[in-house]
Amino acid sequence: MTPPLQPSSSAALTRRAFLGRSAGGIGSLALASLLNDRAFAEQGSLPGLHHAAKAKRVIFLFMAGGPSHIDLFDPKPKLNELDGRAIPQELLKDHQQFALIRGTPNLKGSPYAFQHHGRSGTVLSELLPHLAGVADELTVIRSMHTDTNVHDPGVNFMNCGTLLGDRPTLGSWISYGLGSVNEDLPAYIVLTSGVSDGQPLLQSFWGHGFLDSRHAGVPFRNSGPPVLHLDNPDGITTGDRRRELDLLQWMNQRQHQTLGDPEIAARIASYELAFRMQASVPQLAELDGEPDKILDLYGADRVKPSFARNCLMARRLVERGVRFVQLYDRGWDSHTDIDREHKRQCAAADRPIAALIADLKQRGLLDDTLVLWGGEFGRTPVAQVMGRTWGRDHHPHGFTMWMAGGGMQPGLTYGTTDEFGYHAVENKVHVHDLHATILHLMGIDHKRLTFRSQGRDFRLTDVHGEVVRGILA
Amino acid sequence: MASILLAVALAPCTATAQAVVAPEAGPGESSRIEFNRDIRPILSDNCFACHGFDGKKRKAELRLDTPAGAFAIRDGTQAIKPGDLSQSELWHRVASPDVDEMMPPPESNKQLTAAEQLLLKRWIEEGAAYQPHWAFLPPHKDNPPELALPARAANPIDQFVQARLAREGLAPAPEADRLTLIRRVTLDLTGLPPTPPQIKAFLNDPAPGAYERLIDRLLATRDYAERRTQDWLDLARYADTRGFADDRPRAIWPYRDWVIRALDRNMPFDRFTIEQLAGDLLPAATDEQRLATGFHRNAPQARGQTYPVEEYRLKGVTDRVNTTAKVWLGLTMECAECHDHKFDPISQRDYYSLFAIFNNIEHRGSGMGQGGPTMPYPPPPGATTTGKPVAVPVMRELPAPRETFIHLRGNFLNRGEQVGPAAPAVLVAAGEPQPRNRLDFARWLVDGRNPLVARVVVNRFWQSYFGHGLVRTPDDFGAQGTLPTHPGLLDWLATEFVESGWDMKHINRLIVTSATYRQSARISSTLGERDPNNLLLARMQRVRLPAEQIRDQALAVSGLLQPFAGGPPVFPPQPDRYWEDRDLPGKWTTSTGHDLHRKSLYTYWRRMALHPTMELLDGPARVVCTVKRNLSNLPTQALVTLNAPVFVDSAKHLARRLLAEAPDDPRLRLELAFQLCLARPPDATERDRFLSFIDTQVIRYAKAPAPDLAAWQSVATVLLNIDETITRP
Repeated sequence: MTPPLQPSSSAALTRRAFLGRSAGGIGSLALASLLNDRAFAEQGSLPGLHHAAKAKRVIFLFMAGGPSHIDLFDPKPKLNELDGRAIPQELLKDHQQFALIRGTPNLKGSPYAFQHHGRSGTVLSELLPHLAGVADELTVIRSMHTDTNVHDPGVNFMNCGTLLGDRPTLGSWISYGLGSVNEDLPAYIVLTSGVSDGQPLLQSFWGHGFLDSRHAGVPFRNSGPPVLHLDNPDGITTGDRRRELDLLQWMNQRQHQTLGDPEIAARIASYELAFRMQASVPQLAELDGEPDKILDLYGADRVKPSFARNCLMARRLVERGVRFVQLYDRGWDSHTDIDREHKRQCAAADRPIAALIADLKQRGLLDDTLVLWGGEFGRTPVAQVMGRTWGRDHHPHGFTMWMAGGGMQPGLTYGTTDEFGYHAVENKVHVHDLHATILHLMGIDHKRLTFRSQGRDFRLTDVHGEVVRGILA
Repeated sequence: MASILLAVALAPCTATAQAVVAPEAGPGESSRIEFNRDIRPILSDNCFACHGFDGKKRKAELRLDTPAGAFAIRDGTQAIKPGDLSQSELWHRVASPDVDEMMPPPESNKQLTAAEQLLLKRWIEEGAAYQPHWAFLPPHKDNPPELALPARAANPIDQFVQARLAREGLAPAPEADRLTLIRRVTLDLTGLPPTPPQIKAFLNDPAPGAYERLIDRLLATRDYAERRTQDWLDLARYADTRGFADDRPRAIWPYRDWVIRALDRNMPFDRFTIEQLAGDLLPAATDEQRLATGFHRNAPQARGQTYPVEEYRLKGVTDRVNTTAKVWLGLTMECAECHDHKFDPISQRDYYSLFAIFNNIEHRGSGMGQGGPTMPYPPPPGATTTGKPVAVPVMRELPAPRETFIHLRGNFLNRGEQVGPAAPAVLVAAGEPQPRNRLDFARWLVDGRNPLVARVVVNRFWQSYFGHGLVRTPDDFGAQGTLPTHPGLLDWLATEFVESGWDMKHINRLIVTSATYRQSARISSTLGERDPNNLLLARMQRVRLPAEQIRDQALAVSGLLQPFAGGPPVFPPQPDRYWEDRDLPGKWTTSTGHDLHRKSLYTYWRRMALHPTMELLDGPARVVCTVKRNLSNLPTQALVTLNAPVFVDSAKHLARRLLAEAPDDPRLRLELAFQLCLARPPDATERDRFLSFIDTQVIRYAKAPAPDLAAWQSVATVLLNIDETITRP
């Protein structure tokens, strides 16, 4: 049996305890190994996986604002038929209120055509023509539900399983549990794109909560160097910096020899990694070595920031062993003109997502990379009318997410909502269940990845969560 | 060899991360088992979740957290029969290899070690004596232990620490040298490094009591109050914005200034408590006392248009309850929001009774203006463009209390029984009157009889100097928290605190004048092996400086730091489009003049996008109460202190200062640089290496407009980045 996790253990502790122990005789040798041995990857807190992992890394395509399941993945003939009628009262039972709609709204069917695609016959809307090309790779979950219809608590919930955003996010838990396999990059990277729709991206969306801050997501910036303060000050060349670092590290090593404090050894390693990142991150971000045909596949520009470029970056990052890449694409919060807004969003996202899946597949990465698509909730089957246009309000009771790659049953459409697309009814999947399933695919028992804080062993799924066996390969 | 090293390094952390030292005089072969020390942690970790205080989750109606529950005879069997192992069902279950019988059950993923089993066995054989949880018993002021070598003790703190060391066969570390001491204590007390004249004055004071005189000088500074305020603001979850998605600004900085004034005047902690929790309810409350109640208006507050108003008002009350419990009681009350606490005797009823105390604060309707009461506060001259008073959020009690119900499973729509205001039952002696409102409650907290408050507070003081508290879980003094490493010392300090009239400076002074605090921080190889986590305090602990102090120190040594205190928050430069790229509303308008280089305490603290210098160096977002900061050691931090504009500017100004103040001799210049950054001169090896580095740099920058300045800026960059500089020695 794998022993339960020790909450106090972490890679840093191992490394520090190890160095601290060797502070007497073999300290300098240990230090040399720390500085030179690139294989000395950051270990996770888990002494071993709980079971064999199907996925080694995750790309989470987060459609911020809430994409409409009704118009993209979950066709509802009955809803179309009853278009324009008042919402049946029984749907509003146990239901507080809509986020913005007041009064009793009318049902609104989808104006878009749906078709079966691929050998699996996965159903997709006409707004997603490119995704149709990889339909057989998808596992579509139509029966998601969550706990809130407010944006930022919803995004927090989808990331950390609580509304307030004071807990670690999914990526932080994975970084904490499994560590990093790339010495030159953080284990958890966040990329952002899309149009502003008034929904800000908050620090808590990639926060580390009570975990050590090295497990926080590192948001790459869209303008200038992707990592803050990556560039040396004006007039300081790499050679200059190296000379400064040599003196600096010489001082640190002397101090380490005098005081024996393992924290100093860790500092030495941090400065070396920072120096390496100054070279590795720009190479990565400048898409060095990507041929034009790959850029074309994604529809990405070599320089200009976009969701498409981020999809390509995501592939480059997972290729280099980054554990968790989360893409925030903004502009899905279509309250008033969904036709224009969702067409715009799909036009920007559909092709690169399909390209990402195809590209991962052709490189053999899809087998052990989990791609996850969704927002903080779906959108209402009732209309929110604004003058001559209409849109849909926030909808947490039933919506669609899909997954592809590592360990999933491809071509499956799982779970259903009722005939209005209102409530998830069959094979319901709660956000906690989704989290449990993702961790399961990564080789982690969600009940045994814990961190002790305030006297309690916390986990991502709190006291909830069931692995959704029905969608696994 | 390398592969062996690697194997050691990559071995599971369980082996290396374990403390080699037991919390306090572990149960030797001969000594008696003590419930709180030896048994409670085992039961709490392995049994209480199903057999503890939480009635709803209790299995087989068995509870092991009370003797009555454990000894009860049910169906002819007893979980524990004191003194009789064979008649104790618990022992059979614990020792059973049968998966259907064994406890804890296999599905719990918990397993007792052989050593734990042995402890349980001995405890039952010795009569299974229970003790109430230590933290719920009043602190007991024992006489400090006598020492065989009393000369090394400066005050009673050292008697406790050194007596324990003697029992372990260890000696305290020698006293650190004077240069280390002045840097250590000046950084700790004021948040700033000592200046060369201050260092000189201290070195040139050979009379006895020089160190104590230094302490008294530092304690009297406003810098001291500002530094302590920083710690308090983490607890108070102080920020300049309201939180949630819009995260709009609010003018709550006058509350921050109130804290500075209170700590500067050394306001007794009981008054400090009462005014912040209930200043508005004091008879004839002054403006200052009402201002103090900003403490609980720091709770994040959602705008009422998109967030259901009542739900998010209640989240604010929840935050007030959780924060109060954490700051004053060191208890994890939040566990009881949805169900009875699993480990501590806190029921859900207790939770909502405390909730009732904080549920009567005015809260205005919905919409953009949603919020609570404010009071006008005149800004300091020139601080705002209009000069008009700002509206500071404060607390005001409703004339008639709101009804409070237990929220079943924590869901406010699912109302259980109605409850009235009360303090947690376990903390109120039978027959004592219950506090009925915020003012009663605040007074009750600091009436000197609460077993937790003084311990929790002095433990945090200890943490700010040693990096860890005597209780290493400063936010949890309950059953799941760690035991104090030095229980006698904790209790002595706690009672001393109350007896001194809750004199905060007195306790801080005691700590920093102790010989324990003055020890060298060197980790010998034996000590590193024996006590890697410094539980025994046989040495001092180096601590990386907090975010604010890393920046402030760089500004101070370069001469850029502006001394002005208080007033509205300032906006030192942050990267372009930092908010815009995340679509956060508002615009960062960089400050000008003095405000560019104020202490970081005054930097605009935006919850949803903290200034990146603060965020990257582990400054907390202050969405919730933070009792202990993370201290990480990351490459992204190295990039901050190497490349962020404020550090580049500091290096440049430090170089200019060196050239100006020591114009002729590179050796004197280097000496000054070391004095400023490290409070010590370079040794001969360092001097040679730095001077040759400077020669190289001057050649490298020969074509630059000012080769000397560029070369010395390199030196400054190195000195501002070395571990020694950014670590409190």
